[in-house]
This record gives sequence, C-alpha cells and structure tokens, in this order.
Amino acid sequence: MTGWVGRPLARKEDARLLAGRGRYLDDVCRPGQLHAAMLRSPHAHARIAGLDAREVAAIPGVHAVLTGADAAALSHPIRPLIPTAVPLDDWCLAVDRVRYAGEPVAAVAAVDRATAEDALETIRVEYEPLPAVVDPEAALRPDSPLLYPALGTNVLWHDVLAYGDVAGAFARADGVLRERFEIQRYASTPLETFGAIAEYDAGLDAYTFWTNDQRPGLTLAILADSLGVPQSRLRLITPDIGGAFGNKRRPAYLLVCALLARRAGRPVKYVEDRLENLGALMHACNGVMDVELAYRSDGTMLGLRVRDVADEGKNLISPTQHNLIKLGNIVNGYRIGAVSYEAYSVLTTKCPSGANRGIGKPFMCFAVERAVALLARRLRLDPAELRLRNYVAREEMPYTTPPGAQYDSGDYAATLRRALERFDYRGWRERQAHARAEGRLLGIGIATSVEPAGTNLASYELITGRRAASGSAEAAMVRLEPDGRVRAALGDPACGQGYETVVAQIVADELGLTPADVHVERGFDSATTPWLYLSGNYSNKFSVTDVGAVVGAARAVRDKLLRIAAHRLEAAVDDLELAEGQARVRGVPGRGLPLRELARTAYADVLGLPPGEPPGLEARHAHQNPLAQPLGADRTVRSQLVFSNAAHCCLVEIDRLTGMVRILRHVVVHDCGRELNPLIVEGMVHGSTVHGLGAALLEEFRYDANGQLLTSTFMDYLKPTAADVPDIEVDRLEHPSPFTPLGAKGVGEGGSIPAPAAVASAVEDALAELDVTVRSLPITPERVWRWLRGR
Amino acid sequence: MTVARVRLRVNGHAVERTVAARRSLADLLREDLGLTGTHVGCEHGVCGACTVLVDGRTARACLLLAVQLEGAEVTTVEGLTPPEGLSVLQESFRECHALQCGFCTPGMLATAHELLAENAAPTRDEIRAAIAGNLCMCTGYVNIVRAIELAARRLAR
Amino acid sequence: MKPAPFDYVRARTLDEALAALDADSKILAGGQSLVPMLNMRLVRPTRVVDINALPGLDGVRARADGGLDIGALTRHSDVLTAPLVKERAPLLAAAAAHVGHRAIRNRGTIGGSLAHADPAAELPAALLALDASALIAGRGGRRRVRLDEFLVGALTTALRADEILIGIEIPDARGAGWGFAEVARRPGDFAIAGVAALVQGGRDRCDSARLVAFGAHERPVRLRGAESVIAGASASAALGEQAAARTAADCRPPDDVHATAEYRAHLVRVLSEQAVRDAMSRTAG
Repeated sequence: MTGWVGRPLARKEDARLLAGRGRYLDDVCRPGQLHAAMLRSPHAHARIAGLDAREVAAIPGVHAVLTGADAAALSHPIRPLIPTAVPLDDWCLAVDRVRYAGEPVAAVAAVDRATAEDALETIRVEYEPLPAVVDPEAALRPDSPLLYPALGTNVLWHDVLAYGDVAGAFARADGVLRERFEIQRYASTPLETFGAIAEYDAGLDAYTFWTNDQRPGLTLAILADSLGVPQSRLRLITPDIGGAFGNKRRPAYLLVCALLARRAGRPVKYVEDRLENLGALMHACNGVMDVELAYRSDGTMLGLRVRDVADEGKNLISPTQHNLIKLGNIVNGYRIGAVSYEAYSVLTTKCPSGANRGIGKPFMCFAVERAVALLARRLRLDPAELRLRNYVAREEMPYTTPPGAQYDSGDYAATLRRALERFDYRGWRERQAHARAEGRLLGIGIATSVEPAGTNLASYELITGRRAASGSAEAAMVRLEPDGRVRAALGDPACGQGYETVVAQIVADELGLTPADVHVERGFDSATTPWLYLSGNYSNKFSVTDVGAVVGAARAVRDKLLRIAAHRLEAAVDDLELAEGQARVRGVPGRGLPLRELARTAYADVLGLPPGEPPGLEARHAHQNPLAQPLGADRTVRSQLVFSNAAHCCLVEIDRLTGMVRILRHVVVHDCGRELNPLIVEGMVHGSTVHGLGAALLEEFRYDANGQLLTSTFMDYLKPTAADVPDIEVDRLEHPSPFTPLGAKGVGEGGSIPAPAAVASAVEDALAELDVTVRSLPITPERVWRWLRGR
Repeated sequence: MTVARVRLRVNGHAVERTVAARRSLADLLREDLGLTGTHVGCEHGVCGACTVLVDGRTARACLLLAVQLEGAEVTTVEGLTPPEGLSVLQESFRECHALQCGFCTPGMLATAHELLAENAAPTRDEIRAAIAGNLCMCTGYVNIVRAIELAARRLAR
Repeated sequence: MKPAPFDYVRARTLDEALAALDADSKILAGGQSLVPMLNMRLVRPTRVVDINALPGLDGVRARADGGLDIGALTRHSDVLTAPLVKERAPLLAAAAAHVGHRAIRNRGTIGGSLAHADPAAELPAALLALDASALIAGRGGRRRVRLDEFLVGALTTALRADEILIGIEIPDARGAGWGFAEVARRPGDFAIAGVAALVQGGRDRCDSARLVAFGAHERPVRLRGAESVIAGASASAALGEQAAARTAADCRPPDDVHATAEYRAHLVRVLSEQAVRDAMSRTAG
C-alpha cells in the first residue's frame, strides 16, 4: 500500500499558480457584484453618540449602506466563544461603542472600491472618546477603563491550573530561577488579505459566500446563527487561499457582506486592504509571563510555575485560545513533574487577537527555553547538556505531561545531538573563541521544542465549564468516476500546504493509481465537500486527523472495487489487489479488470453488480482522531494530540558599532514522524522558521498610550525579506507516531516555535562578556546597542 | 478630466481603455483585462506581489496609474508563460518547490526574470538582494533562491 | 486603499506642465512616494500633472567644468549604472544603491526624491554633500538654488506650488574622496541614519570636507563641527574618529517608532567615522 506517500513529488497545483491561473478570492467575480468599504473608528475607545449616513445615497454608484444600528436590527449578535457573567452583544458593526482603533462602524457597497471609499467620507460619526487601555497588566487593575462596564472587569478568564505536587517540588528544590518574559504583538500576515463575496438569493432566502476563510465549519455556524438562516440555506466556497497561518477568519466581515448584498439586491465583495489587515484583523497575543523554575543543583528540573497574562485586544470570538495552547505545551520536551499555570485572558482597546502561526507556543517555548538557558548559565552547565539531562526519553514514550499532553514518540536527545552535529557545534565554539580574540561578537544559540498537531476542542471545557465541541475530526470524499478517474475532496481548505498533491498521493496508494489520476478539489464547498463543525485548517491537523478521513474514504472505495472485481472475475476478494489502474488476481497476469471497467459496472451496467451491492463508487468518511479524550476529573486534557519535535541552532554576529544582528546560519533538525511528502515538509520548515526569525528581530505592532497603532503599514511593520535571513539548513529524523493513520505528525508550525528562543540565546551568547539577559522580543539594533553600551 | 483614455500593449496585445485617472495599473490588469495573475498585497509598493514588467523593467503595478502607461509595453505573469507548459524559470520553481500559496509567485517571477536577463550567473547573495523587494510569507525564500539558481544554470546552456 | 478622485494632465511640454500647476495639484514623476500617499488618501490633490512625457528631462550629461547635469526625470536605476556618474560622482551611485528595491528604482526619479525631501532619504543627502544645485522652472523663467537653500525642512523644499524641478547640477567632484554609510533595519528601507562624505585633499592633508547626515534632523544636515576638524588637518588614521566626536551638536534627530534620538545620534557618529575613513582612502594621491 505504499509507493507515492513519502516521495518528494513536485506539486500538482503549481502549474496553474506559476502561470498566474490561480483563483484567489479577489479573482472571483460574481455578475453584478458591488464592492464594499468599511468606515472604521479613529478612536481606540469611544461612545458612538451619533451616526449620520444620509449623504451616502446621493453619491452616484452607491447601492447600499449599513450602520451598526442596521446590523443590530437585521442580525443576531455574534456569540462569544466563552460565556461571560453578563451577555456581551457583539454585532458585525459597532453599535454604541467602539473598542479599538479600526473597529468597523459602517459599511458601503458601491460599483467599485474607490467609490465606496468616497462614500465613507460623507458619513458623519459623533464620537465621545473614552480612555484607552493598552497595557494588559494595567487592564487587570480595578481602576482600569473597562471595555464592557457591565462585565465589571476586562478579564475574560482567570484561573490557576495545577498538576502534580507543585509545593513539594519547590520545597525540595536546591534553587528557583525566577524571570519575567514579554512577547510583542505580531502576526503572520499572509500576503493575500482576508475577504469575502456574499450573494443573496431572495427567491430561496439563501446566501452563498466565497471567502478565504480557513475555518468554514465554524464560520457557517456563526453565519447561520447571526443571519437567522438554517445552514441548509447557506453555502460557503473557498477558492485558492494565499496563505492563512490562523489569520484568515472574520465572520463579521461575511455578515457585513451578506447584509449589504441583501439590501442592494446584488452580490457584494469585500477585500481588506493592507492597512485594515495590519490594524484590524488579528494579532497574536502579546503578553507577560512570570516563570519560576525549581531545580536541583545537578540541573534536574523539578517544577514550573507560570503566571501568564495574555493581551487579547478586543476579542470575544476566540479569547483564551493562546492560554490553552500554552498550557498544552508548558513543559516543552522536559520531564518536569509539577506544573502550575495561572492564566489571564485580558481585554484591551486594541486589535482583536487571534490564531497565528504557533498560537502562543512561540511565547511558551521562548519562556521555557530562555529559563533553561539561564539555568545553564547559573549552574555553569553546557546548555545542550542541561537539556539532555531533562528530556523525556524515547523509551518513556508515550509520556503524559502533568497537564495531560501525551508525547507519542520521538527521541529529543537524538534530535538535539544531530542538530549540534549538523551545526558543527564544537567547531563553531572554537571559531567563536578565535573571533572573540579578534573582537568580533559571534554567538551560538540553541532552542528545542515539541510541536503539537491536532487540537481537541474538549480542552475548552477548562474555560467554559461545559463541553460544546470536542475531539479532532475531519471529513473527506473519494469518488471513482464513471470514466475510471478519481475525484477527492477534503473539508480542510488548503492555504498553501499542498493538499491537492498529498491527498492525491494517499489516494493513489490506496487505489493502485498515480497521483495524476486523482483530482483533488480545490478548496472547500459546503454544498459538495463533506464537512463537520470541526472542519477547517488549524492546529497542524492535516497529517494527524485529515489523513484518516482520506484513507477511510479511499479504503471504502477500494473495498467496493475489490468486491465488484471479485464478483466479475469470480475470484476471492483476498486474492485480489489494486495496482497499475487495475483490480487483478495477485500473481496471475492477465486476470484483471481496469478500474474504468469496474466503474462501468458500478454506474451504468448495474445489473452486473454483486447481489446487494448498491451502485456507485463514492465514499464519504469522517475520521475522529482516537487520541482525543474528554477532560479528566483532575482537569488534565489532551488539548493537542501528537507531538513532533525539533532542535534549532543559530549563529549570529553582532556589529559592535551599530548593534545590528545578522543571522549567519540557522540549522533545524526536526522529526515529524513519517513525512508524507518530504519536499513539502522541508518547505514548511523553511517557512515556519523564517516566521520565527521575523518575530525575533523585526516584527512588532506598537501602540501609543492612546491605542493608536504606530506600525500600521509594511513600511513600519517589518517582515523578513530574502536579504534578512540565511539559508535554513534542514535535517530530519523520523520517529513515526504509533497513533496516527499514516504515522505522520504535524509540521506546519514547527520552526515558528523555537526559532525566536534560538536567536535570543545566540544574541545573549554573543554578548556573554556583558552578562546580558534577553527577556523580550524583538531584538532590535537599538536594544543591542544599549546592552553594548553597558549599564 | 478625471477619466482619460490610454493605449498600451499588454503581453503583446494592443489595449485601449478609458479609465478613471485614479485607477491603478494593477486594477486595470486584474479587473478590466481579466489578467488576475498580478496580485495586490499592500498598495504601497512594499510587498512586491504586484510586480510586472513595464518596457522590460520591473515596476509595482499598484504604484502606477493606468493612464500613465500610454504607449508602454506591459508584461505580466501571463505574458511570461509560454502557450504550452511552463518556462524554464517557472519549471525550476516547480521542481524546487519555490511556492506554497502562490500569491507572491507572479511578482517573484517578474523580478527573477529581470535579474536573469541582466545577470546570467548570479550568486546566492545577488539573488537574495534582487528578490529582497518581494515578500514571501510561506517559503522562507530558501527554495526560491535554489529555483533561480537552477534556472540560471539551465538558461546558460 | 484607493485615491480620492483627481483630474489628470499628461503634459507634453514644460509650459503645458507649468500652466497646469496650482496650489492643489501634485506632480507625478516616478510616483513611488506620491502614489502610496494618494492610495492612503494622505494627499488629495485636485489635479495630478504627469511630467513623465516631458522631453529632455532625463539623462546624465557631462559638464564642461568636470561636473554633471542630471535631468530630474532620470530614474534611480539609471543614475546607479550611468558610467558618467561612476566616474564623476560615485558618491551618488553609492547612495542610489540604497534606495528601495529594483522595481522602485526603475520608476523613482532623482528629481522626485529631491523634491519629496524625506529627511531619511539618501539622494538629497548625497547631493548636498556634492554641493549640488537644483534647476527649477517656473512660469516666470528658471532659477538655480543651491541644495542647502533648496532643502528647507521635513518634506519641504524651496519649490513653489507652480514650479517644477527640472535638473540637478553637480560641480566637479573629480579627485574628491567619497564615503557613504547608513544603517537601515533591512536593506532597501529608509535609513535610521546615514552619512554622505566628500573629502578634498591629498595623501597627507585634508583641505576640506562636506559631511552630510540624514535621518539626523528635519533635513539632511551638514556636520559642520566634524567638517572643521577635517579642514586643513593632517591625514591621520584617527582623523575620522576625531571628526565623528564632533557630530552631536549639529544633529537633532527624531524619536520615532524605529529608533530614539539618542541611538540615531550614536549612529551618526559611528557612520561619520566610517564615511570619513572611506573618503580619505579614496582621495587622489
């Protein structure tokens, strides 16, 4: 059953993308479509005292306008993800209050975007500014301005989760390392911005959406609720998606389009421009983490206490997500037996937070790996040696961490050793010594991480106290068509990960075909793609959950083919195999039937089917990852299901005079179990690592005290270019997961998790003579210069 | 006049349109001519997604008014693609897995095309410097550099 | 992000362009600075006057006195590669290499950069170091303004609303040593700070220097304290450092999201030393 899976095949989707024949959201044109623009609040926090949009109608080419009051009258509020003490009504447009600069307050649909923007300028809004709150710790204070006064607090969630004997661990310890770490706001910013087209059919009272939303299952539920329309009268289609990384969802924008389309009687398209994307779509939570690491003098880590304040901006749709995911990864790859995690999910008057590449794990890994590096310094142990002493060993797998994460397989020590070898760690320590003698500042940094895949939504019961969604599941369809070729579809829309190729590889193996014979539908269409609420692109779940759906559907088709072939060939099913486009008797050349012939029986010549066998050769299969479990009574939970791991080694040079940091080398050794397509896997490692390097050195959303975003364009919010990063050198180990359908694990987030910590350690190492501690990101040249200047 | 007529050539074809003066070349290409291969990523000239060739030189289509292109020769990714199959540069991208979501790719190809037309054997550093004006959020650039190197070697033969 | 509506005039002659200008119009040359501002509605001219078709406003020509005449519409890419520039004003080529990326340089013009006068831009600073003059055309005729008078403040020049910058005159700089150094967060970004240096002298002595810092003030600024250290001094290895020690008083760098004034002042000092050293190594003799 193997052959195509595991091969580094070039991708099937590339020919069209290279020729400029991809079809992204803004390439979709619906007949008569109008273009929407949104009026956004200039204030971070204000009451809307009045809004007058009457002049809009006078502008030629304008077809509809929507205000917050309209939204409240025409739709139901968007239900917040977590329950709050009092209901917090949140519509697709701000109604009486704005809570971040950039929050939409009105929208216009016109013949083109330029006209829509002209129309926005005629809308008069009367704001009564309120004090902004931009610092998450300030937002915790009882005297803080409140985003929702009725709630009485800005804290959406606060809890302490403790596992194991934390007090005992700290009492037994020879020492405790205490540090405070901070992470900045940043975002993955896919190059294609978010958008949607809504089309309303008045006859059917039905809506169709085209959108690059990566969570169609979730979004359809929200749309149905807010529009008051059953899901059977909603259709959602995703075209090619130009990158997502978690950022591509904003149900409110689809609702705005839907309401405008209904009003205007024409389809309405909205595509965010880059300023809207950077200022108002979503940022990864910034925050502060206080870490206490209890240790024995030989370096054994005994216990970990973390206090985590996550700044969610104005986010009611997915708060606590960063906290929960940090908890699932809190001990990283280490055997730490006692853990306490105090979490705050806090509202501030800033852009809503949301999923990002890594969602919280980059910060969690940064904090833990920095603590480990500092512990090594304190104990004068080699940082690699300290890690090796504390890793969960291969033989201990599957290993369950105190909060309940199960590390399924992997050899963390071997990964690190291979990385040090590939990096030539010893050689570079010598070169570093020579360089130091010459006055050059070279630094070497190490960071290692676990990388989870597959989110179990039951983990949210920790927050909400009840189970609304749970498990990890996905659905797929495989159909052998009447002409003997194959069509497949997956409820998870690809955003650049190559599913059209990998799914074809998997199906080809199951059916004895080649990937060229298998057409994988581009994206998601709720009318034809099988899907669940849980369907979508998130949490690296493709390799660990989606493949189960694909394999299940392919196998159902395979089994049926074999039954039909057995009947027609008068052979036993067990003597048959599918290979080279045929069903044939194993070892007997000439005794076989091409799949096309079996399809003719199944679809056309149905009297030839085995008795009781229904016609057709199509299967839909939904796979539930069996690793997902409900919340335990002791509040443990497998919030994610399988774990890859990686080790990063980074070499930097610092310019003494300017503080500029140059990354000379970055080596990654990773283990994501069985690699379904090594070419695609390696690309994921490159790309995710560069995300981490950007966060380490360049990217930061900075706000002033009034909640105004200062880094609001690509001129000021700095993404890494090809000139800023080196070749990422990649090597791999493969410890398959014993628990996933194909032994594969996740790899999409990989490098983004430990890369910032590796860079931080390298910078610290370069400045070792100055006894610098890197506690926050990004590491800008000015910060380095200030360290160089001394205290 | 807030509208103006412009006559230009796009991918070898004569085009004549009357457009609003404020309409960008990117919007003309995408919406008026249906050439959606050129993508818009920022509308302030930084991300490079909209890079096309104007009179043989790369330019940001988001920073050109369509009406400015009177008499100009514009080449988009559609014009860099042969009638059948893929160009040597495109095929090199495919083999090296130099694209993931594909959104930066047309602009990246235009930039690579200009580089290789002027420098038949660029070093890795020269390649990185040349594409530093094209942001890619997916690939981390490693395979793009490899693909351009490979294309250079192949074109030299 | 679409511009507010505007009239468009594609001028075919200089007179036509001048006639079309008024207080609410903007000149479109390269567009690499103007169009982003139009797109973000940061500027809302009622009329955009496209001067790209004006004949004779591009090109690099040798002056009889050993200097250069550069048409305002000369693209950065062409300034960068022109053999005459490499030969007679290599400082300018060095500065142009730092401007944005290739696609920007293919369209952006030297005149546009000068007229835009971003305090962190490379070309105005290099031109000031070269003691260039701006050639300006107006309805009443032409005038020539030396760069230290032309560059008035942040995004502000001596150009009147009904005038067009048509050329740049660079005096003879052959034999002068030049140096150029900047620090930017990423290659091609606007500089956090930078220094352009032109040193006249021989092997043993420096006669005079023009040191210009950018990103260090409201406009490119002459580092006169440092210049006075160099003027008439023996060419020693320490001269660069000595000059750099005197840069702070001439700077008033901004504090912004990318850097503090303090860091910028430090960069000016460090980059001055480097630029002076490079310039001294390049002086004739």
